[in-house]
Amino acid sequence: MIRDITLGQFFPGHSLLHRADPRIKIILSILYIVLVFLADSVSGYLFLVLFTALLIAISGIPVSTLVKSLKPLLFIVLFTSVINVFWNREGELLVSFWKIAIYTGGVFTAVFMTVRIMMLLLGTGVILTYTTSPIALTDAMERLLSPLKVLHIPVHDFAMMMTIALRFIPTLLEETDKIMNAQKARGADFSTGSLGQRAKALIPVLIPLFISAFRRADELAVAMESRCYRGGKGRTRMTSLHLHALDFVLLFGLALAGAGIVLCNRFVPIYAI
Amino acid sequence: MENTAAKLCGVSYIYSEKTPFEKVAVDGVDVTLEEGMVTGLIGHTGSGKSTVAQMLNGLLRPTSGEVYVLGRNIWENPKDIRRVRFEAGLVFQYPEYQLFEETVARDIAFGPRNMGLPEEEISSRVAEAMAFVGLDASLSEKSPFDLSGGQKRRVALAGVMAMQPKILILDEPAAGLDPRGRDEILSGVVRYKERTGATVVMISHSMEDMARYCDRILVMNDGKPYLYGTPEVVFSEAERLEKVGLSVPQITRLMAELRRRGYPVSASVYTVEAALAEIRKLTGGDRA
Amino acid sequence: MAETIIKTEKLCFEYEKNEGEEKTQVLRSLDLTVERGSFVAVLGHNGSGKSTLAKVLNLLVTPTSGKVWLFGKEINEETMTEDELYEIRRRVGMVFQNPDNQLVATIVEEDVAFGPENIGVEPSEIRRRVDEALETVGMTAFARHSPHQLSGGQKQRVAIAGILALRPEIIVFDESTAMLDPMGRREVLDTIRKLNRDNGTTILMITHYMDEAIDADRVIVLDDGRIVLDGTPREVFSHVEEVRAAGLDVPQITELTYRLGLSGTPITAEEGADAIEALITNRQERN
Repeated sequence: MIRDITLGQFFPGHSLLHRADPRIKIILSILYIVLVFLADSVSGYLFLVLFTALLIAISGIPVSTLVKSLKPLLFIVLFTSVINVFWNREGELLVSFWKIAIYTGGVFTAVFMTVRIMMLLLGTGVILTYTTSPIALTDAMERLLSPLKVLHIPVHDFAMMMTIALRFIPTLLEETDKIMNAQKARGADFSTGSLGQRAKALIPVLIPLFISAFRRADELAVAMESRCYRGGKGRTRMTSLHLHALDFVLLFGLALAGAGIVLCNRFVPIYAI
Repeated sequence: MENTAAKLCGVSYIYSEKTPFEKVAVDGVDVTLEEGMVTGLIGHTGSGKSTVAQMLNGLLRPTSGEVYVLGRNIWENPKDIRRVRFEAGLVFQYPEYQLFEETVARDIAFGPRNMGLPEEEISSRVAEAMAFVGLDASLSEKSPFDLSGGQKRRVALAGVMAMQPKILILDEPAAGLDPRGRDEILSGVVRYKERTGATVVMISHSMEDMARYCDRILVMNDGKPYLYGTPEVVFSEAERLEKVGLSVPQITRLMAELRRRGYPVSASVYTVEAALAEIRKLTGGDRA
Repeated sequence: MAETIIKTEKLCFEYEKNEGEEKTQVLRSLDLTVERGSFVAVLGHNGSGKSTLAKVLNLLVTPTSGKVWLFGKEINEETMTEDELYEIRRRVGMVFQNPDNQLVATIVEEDVAFGPENIGVEPSEIRRRVDEALETVGMTAFARHSPHQLSGGQKQRVAIAGILALRPEIIVFDESTAMLDPMGRREVLDTIRKLNRDNGTTILMITHYMDEAIDADRVIVLDDGRIVLDGTPREVFSHVEEVRAAGLDVPQITELTYRLGLSGTPITAEEGADAIEALITNRQERN
C-alpha cells in the first residue's frame, strides 16, 4: 500500500551521527563532497573508502539497506564506467579487439568514477539523509540560510512550504490511490491503450486530486490562522539548536580525513591521474 | 445455494506481503451474500470490512481463496475483471471527492460510457439514476462543484447506479452527513433496490441505520466474520457485540433493561415501532 | 452569577453566492450569551449557520452587522490592533472537522508546538506546554510519531493538544467528530468533557449528532440562522417535533417515550425503563 512509503531515506536511530546538529551535518556533507574530489590516487581512494566505511559503522545503518538504495543507480554507474573503459585511451594498451581497445587509463578512470559515485551516495547518505529527519533538515536549512533574511529573501516562508509539503505528501499519495480506485470502480482503465489514451484516462484522477489539494490548502490556511500564525514575525522555536562537543569532534574528524587524503595523494601517489 | 449473489470462499488478503509492513486484513473468510437482500457490514476500523467490499468488485485480488460474483469465479480470467466492476458497483467513502466532470449529467455518464453503451442508453440511464437518488432533472447541466455536500454525494451515488450493477456495495454512504442528508442518500439506495431487485451491501458504523435498512447483518472482527444473521439474531447477542466494542441500538438496550426487570418483552426488538407494539401489549393494548 | 464570556447581539452574516443574485442569509439577528466554564452544544443541520457562528467567534469571519463581545470586550476589527486580534484568537481556540487538514508538522510534538511558537513563547516554556498538552489528551506516547501514522481520533486529539498549548479560555469544536469512527468519536468526546470538567475551559461544541449533546450543560438548536431551541438537553429533547423540524434526530428512547405520551424526557436505557415501568404499574393499578 502506498501509505507504507517512507519519506526520503530517513532511518531512525540514536547513533552519533543521528544526534549531531543537523546544521553541522549539512556543512559536513558539503565538506565530504569536497573530500571525495580531493582523492585522486589509489591510496587516496583507499583512504576515502575506509573513512566512509567508518562513517557507515558509526551511523548504525544496516549495510543491506544501503546496498538496496544503491541498486536503482547501478545502471548509471555501470554506464559511465563502460563509457570510460572504451573511450579513454590513455596509459598502456591492455586489450585490442576489432575496433575496440582498452587502455589502463580507461580501466582506472572507470574504477575511480564508480568508487567516487558510490562514496558520494553512501557518505552524504549516512551523514545527512539517512540520519536526519526531513523536518530537522528543513529546519536546519532555514537556520543556516537565515542570514539571507537581510536581503529580504523569505527564508522562513520557504521552510514553512517545505514542511507543509513534507506533511502532505503521504496524505496526497493516499488520496491519489483512493481516487484511482474509485474511478476504476466506475470502469476507468489506466493500464491499457496508447500513451495518449492513458494520459487522457488520468484526467478523472487529476481533477479531483487538484480540487482536493486546494480544499486542503484552504482549510489548512484557516486552521493555521486560527492558531495565530502570522509568518515568521515574532516567532520562537521549541527546539533551539545548540552546538555540542560532538559536533566539533565530527568537524575535526572530517578535517583530519581531508588531510589524510591529501597526504596519501602526495606521498603514496600510486596511479595518480 | 441457489439464491447467492456473491460468495467469498476461504478468502484472505494480506497488505504489503513479504515486507516489514505486512498486515493480514482478511483471514480465511467464507461469506455468502443472499440475493436481493440488504446486507449490513459492520466492524471496527481495521476489521477488514472495507477490504471485503473491495474484493467483491475485483479492485483487490485476494492473496488466497476464491471470489464468486453472480456464480462466476471473478479471477478465472483476470483480463475480464472490468466486467465485474460493472456487475458489482462499489461506492467509496466520501464519493463526492471523485467528481470531475463539468456537468452533473456527464459525471454520472462516466461509468456507462466506460461500459461502451450507446449514447441513447447512456442518457436514459443518467436520467433514471438521477431519479433514484432524488436529484431534480434541472440539475443535470449544472456543475457538480456548485452543489451542496449532500447533493454532491447523491451525484456520485447516481454515477454508480447508472451502471445498473446487480450488486450495489456502499462504504459508509452516510458518513459525515446530517440526518436529512443521510435519509436522502439511504432512501435513494432503497429506491434503487426496490426498482431493480439488486443485492445491496452497506458498510456502516450506525447500529440504528443497520436496524432500519438491513435484512442481514455481518459483523466483522479482526479480519474474520464474527456474527451473521437477521438483525433480530444479531442484536439479541448484545453481550457478544459489546465484547468487540460494538453496541446495540439504544432501543434494544432499553428492552433488555425491561427484560432484566422481569417484563416479558422480546429481546430482539430494534426499532421504535416494534418497541411501541411490545410495550402496548404490556399496558393492555390500548393507546398509552 | 457567572461571568459572561461570549455575547452576541443582533449578529447577522450574509454573502452573495453568485454575483447579482440575492444574498444568502446565514445568520439572522442572533442573540447569544455564554457563561464562562459552561459546555454548550450547538446543533443544526448543514447550512443552519452553526459553522459560520464558530468562525465569527474565532475572528475568521467578520459579521455583516451586529455586535460581538468576547471576554467582556466588544470586538471591532477596525479599532483593534493586530496584536489585540491575535490575542483574542489565542484565547478562543478552534478545532475543525477534517483532522488531516489542521496538522502542520510532520511530527506530533512539533505540531503541538506550532501555536506557542507563533505567539513567541520561550522555548523552555513551549516544551513544558507541549508535554502538558499531550499528557492531557493522552497522546504522550505518540509525541515523536508522524501524524499520518495515527488514526482519525488520535489525529483529532493531537489537534486539540495543539490548541491547548495556546492556553485558550474557550474552545470551539466545529463538527470535530463528524469524520471519525465510533471509537474516535468516543476518544474526542471524552477529551472534550475532561477539558470542561478539569480545566474549566468553556466549550462550544458544534455538531449534528443529537447523542453527542447529551452531556452538555446547554443545547442550542439553530435552524436557518436563528436559535429555535435553547435549554438543557432534556428540555430541548422534549420538543421532539421542533427538533425534527430543524432537520435533526431525537434519540430512539426519547422518541419512544414521546410517542407513549410520557413526560420527563428519559435519555438513558435505565431512565427509559424507569418511565415505562411507572407507566405499566400505573396501568395495572387502574385495572
